[in-house]
Amino acid sequence: MTVLRAEGLTVAMGDVPVLRDIGLSLEAGQVLGLVGESGAGKSMLGRAIARMLPAGFGVVGGALAFDGADLLAMPAARHRALLGREIAFVPQEPLTALNPVLTIGRQFGEHLKRLGIPRARDAAIAAFEAVHLRDPAGLLGRYPHQLSGGMCQRVLIAMAFAGRPKLVVADEPTTALDVTIEANIVRLMAELQRGHGTAVLFITHNLRLAARICDDIAVLYSGAVVERGRGRDVLAQPAHPYTRCLQLADPPLTGPPRALYALPETMPGLRDAMRMKGCRFAPRCPVAGDECTRGSPPMGPRAACFRTELTGGIAAPSLQTQQHGVGMDNVLEAIGLRKRFATGGLFRRGGTLAVRGADFIVRDGEFVAVVGESGSGKSTLGRLVVGLETASGGRIVLDGRDVTRGGEAARRHRVATVRMVFQDPQSALNPRRRVIDLVTQTLEARGVGRSARRERGRALLAEMGLPPDAAGRMPHQLSGGQKQRVNIARALCSLPRLLVADEIVSGLDVSVQAQLLLLLARLRREHRFALLFISHDLAVVRHLCDRVLVMRSGEIVEQGAVAEVFANPRHEYTRELLAAARGH
Amino acid sequence: MLLILARRALTAVPILFVVSLMLFVALRVLPVDPAAMSMPPSATLAEIDAMRSQMGLDRPLLEQYGIWLNQAAHGDFGQSLHLRRPVLRLVADTLPATIELAVAAMLVASALGVGGGLALFALRGRRAELAAESATTVLMSVPEFLWALLFIFVFGVLLQALPFTGRLDASLPRPDITGFLLLDAVLVGRVDVLWSALAHLVLPAAALGLAFAPPIVRVLRSSLLDVYHDDYIRQARLRGLSEGRILCRHALKNAALPMLTLMGVQFGFLFGGSLLVEVIYSYPGLGNLMVDAVRNADLPIIQMVGLTYCVLVLAINTLVDGLYVVLNPKLRRR
Ligand SMILES: Nc1ncnc2c1ncn2[C@@H]1O[C@H](COP(=O)(O)OP(=O)(O)OP(=O)(O)O)[C@@H](O)[C@H]1O
Ligand code: SF4
Ligand SMILES: [Mg+2]
Repeated sequence: MTVLRAEGLTVAMGDVPVLRDIGLSLEAGQVLGLVGESGAGKSMLGRAIARMLPAGFGVVGGALAFDGADLLAMPAARHRALLGREIAFVPQEPLTALNPVLTIGRQFGEHLKRLGIPRARDAAIAAFEAVHLRDPAGLLGRYPHQLSGGMCQRVLIAMAFAGRPKLVVADEPTTALDVTIEANIVRLMAELQRGHGTAVLFITHNLRLAARICDDIAVLYSGAVVERGRGRDVLAQPAHPYTRCLQLADPPLTGPPRALYALPETMPGLRDAMRMKGCRFAPRCPVAGDECTRGSPPMGPRAACFRTELTGGIAAPSLQTQQHGVGMDNVLEAIGLRKRFATGGLFRRGGTLAVRGADFIVRDGEFVAVVGESGSGKSTLGRLVVGLETASGGRIVLDGRDVTRGGEAARRHRVATVRMVFQDPQSALNPRRRVIDLVTQTLEARGVGRSARRERGRALLAEMGLPPDAAGRMPHQLSGGQKQRVNIARALCSLPRLLVADEIVSGLDVSVQAQLLLLLARLRREHRFALLFISHDLAVVRHLCDRVLVMRSGEIVEQGAVAEVFANPRHEYTRELLAAARGH
Repeated sequence: MLLILARRALTAVPILFVVSLMLFVALRVLPVDPAAMSMPPSATLAEIDAMRSQMGLDRPLLEQYGIWLNQAAHGDFGQSLHLRRPVLRLVADTLPATIELAVAAMLVASALGVGGGLALFALRGRRAELAAESATTVLMSVPEFLWALLFIFVFGVLLQALPFTGRLDASLPRPDITGFLLLDAVLVGRVDVLWSALAHLVLPAAALGLAFAPPIVRVLRSSLLDVYHDDYIRQARLRGLSEGRILCRHALKNAALPMLTLMGVQFGFLFGGSLLVEVIYSYPGLGNLMVDAVRNADLPIIQMVGLTYCVLVLAINTLVDGLYVVLNPKLRRR
């Protein structure tokens, strides 16, 4: 039985389409993965199902049927009756999806009451047990801010499945969570989905994740489905060149290391796409031919492409033998580094130890990763190194000089040696300066001439996959991902001896991530700098870094060469992390 | 919760202390002579001097303050120079009237503010929104005394529908149990007194309330707009909850927090605003007492009324903070 069917579905803002001619079907009890880069239009499908398109957007063509009934034409009251009962949604941001001023019990109870489930308290406790939440009865009286992101997501998943819906739409349900929790949440959803025979529309930008849990996958590019197939096939043997490029851009966690494929440029914006003739992937396609720009490729059995037979031949460049030299000198030496945060008010003694006695070194030109789940103290460690936090104990030696205790000379030495780049670009970019000036700000301070600056800035922006016209824009005229890249470009403009990077690739699409990883590797070859790379993505760490520190509750539980640690993890926790990342 | 209230009460003590000192000094450096004021016009200079030293006015300022503080600590806040009655009694007699007026005005302001805020919110995105918004701006710029005068003219003089002087019909006996007239009327079971008192309260309360409603309208609307951008509202819709339920159960409680802060501040201002309105309506409250005292340079009264305002504002702030904690679980201890 078909639970969800889209035929020729077209969603547009005015005359600019965001979804074009979407054809999909989802059978009862199946999981359909909707995969694509940011801005491909993935969320629009979920919003069309919920009839909550953003202002100005509307369905301009095609049909969307749920369980045989026309979702778009049915009266609003009937549609609303379906929501929560027959069609349920799992959100991307669990922490903000629950009302902060109502207890979990109230919100769950309200939902159960609407569903007409009697004895709400017992039912809620049973539901919480089913999603493996500890102390379900105690949870009812708690408020969302007292729960972790993972716990909130479990509550929301329990809510979604409470009414035994026919369809669950999960839009990036694990993107906001860290890897260990991601694996648990995915497993939980699979468990409930199988147990209840629910159909799930799983929206994600992560092809690897989708291939692991989805029966079918649809790949979306620029608002249209470009490939459709069984989950494993799509990842193992992509038919569309775009899917193949995505696969090659994603660093592998197992098997022999290989070079990454860098998809050039970016997906066209909505208006650009409208003006394009022929295949919209053509400007970036490695196997594009003349016919590709003449007409739109029709959807075949697997892919919408004129030359699928060439897809298999697309290959990443061969792996260059790593010849970046790691020097003998230590750029950074941390000895018994500790950080205690005061918690509570004046009257409460103690506090939390965010970092408890970290000993490690970073050599000249070495890339060292810090991995661990959220809250393990990774970011605090980075902030201690650059001096954004003062250590409660231990010493930091930068380039042979102790900078632990302040002092103006030590401060200047620190500023000259180490710099940090954050993931959050919002606060970091001056809203009143143009992108090109922001990117080259450090050069400006050093008195580099204007034209030289511009040239360097443009080159950097191109390397970060930003369109040329981005140079003249203001920060607010960029999308979130673009801002993130501008921020990174700025940090890379003039390299320090040691760069501390906090989660700079998380949340990026694999294509952009690959561009960034390649850029880092090239800069390293050309300029030699050391990197302390804080990340939760083990595949990226394996690809990029020489050594890895594994952190757990403020402690470095294991450290060593990446290849060694990943092949033979000694600590139990490292094994857990690796297993979670591999999806076991 | 109790802890917060207790801490608030503790911080109130030094604040009161400082305010009383400031009031004291400010009033003493004014170019008025309480001793001369308290004597009949026929008194000689020598008599006035004698009075001055009897009142302790010839001593250093800080010493005078010390004396005053000591007396105040024993419940003696001095005598009115003009009315020749203990200041404490005078304030105790008039304060209930003002509180009654302020509370009634606050009820009017809240009802209008919340209603208006919801209405304006309901109009969001429609063409009428702009008109409604401009109307609030216009309303916001009308001060309470203009409303007071306008109401007297329209309802009192033109329509002759409502009384506009005093608290009660002169022909009715005034029960005096708590000083709160509405309450007293209920206590003695006199419907006619209650009715008359209510009728007298309508115009001043409406004038005052109307002046304080527009900011509430604005804050409620804008915080509702903010709240509706939040994820949990969208998630509630995705669960199929009705719009009414989303507004009442999910949005209002969140939007109430900023509104509550504003209303706390406003309630304090309201006591200040009640002064003019009381004068206009000859309403026998703290405001009128104050205005008379200023006119007569009756320093002890001015001082006492000033302190009373201070206590009221502190009390209201404490109350609002307490309510805030009740409504916002993030402030509560686990
Ligand atoms: N509220 C909005 N107003 C205008 N344009 C929008 C709005 N929301 C999304 N868009 C545009 O619609 C297109 C599709 O957006 P959509 O949110 O579906 O992307 P997505 O694939 O879900 O991306 P992501 O992975 O970043 O969530 C994008 O080009 C985006 O810029
Ligand atoms: S149709 Fe042409 S351009 Fe488009 S993906 Fe296929 S080969 Fe590439
Ligand atoms: Mg999305």
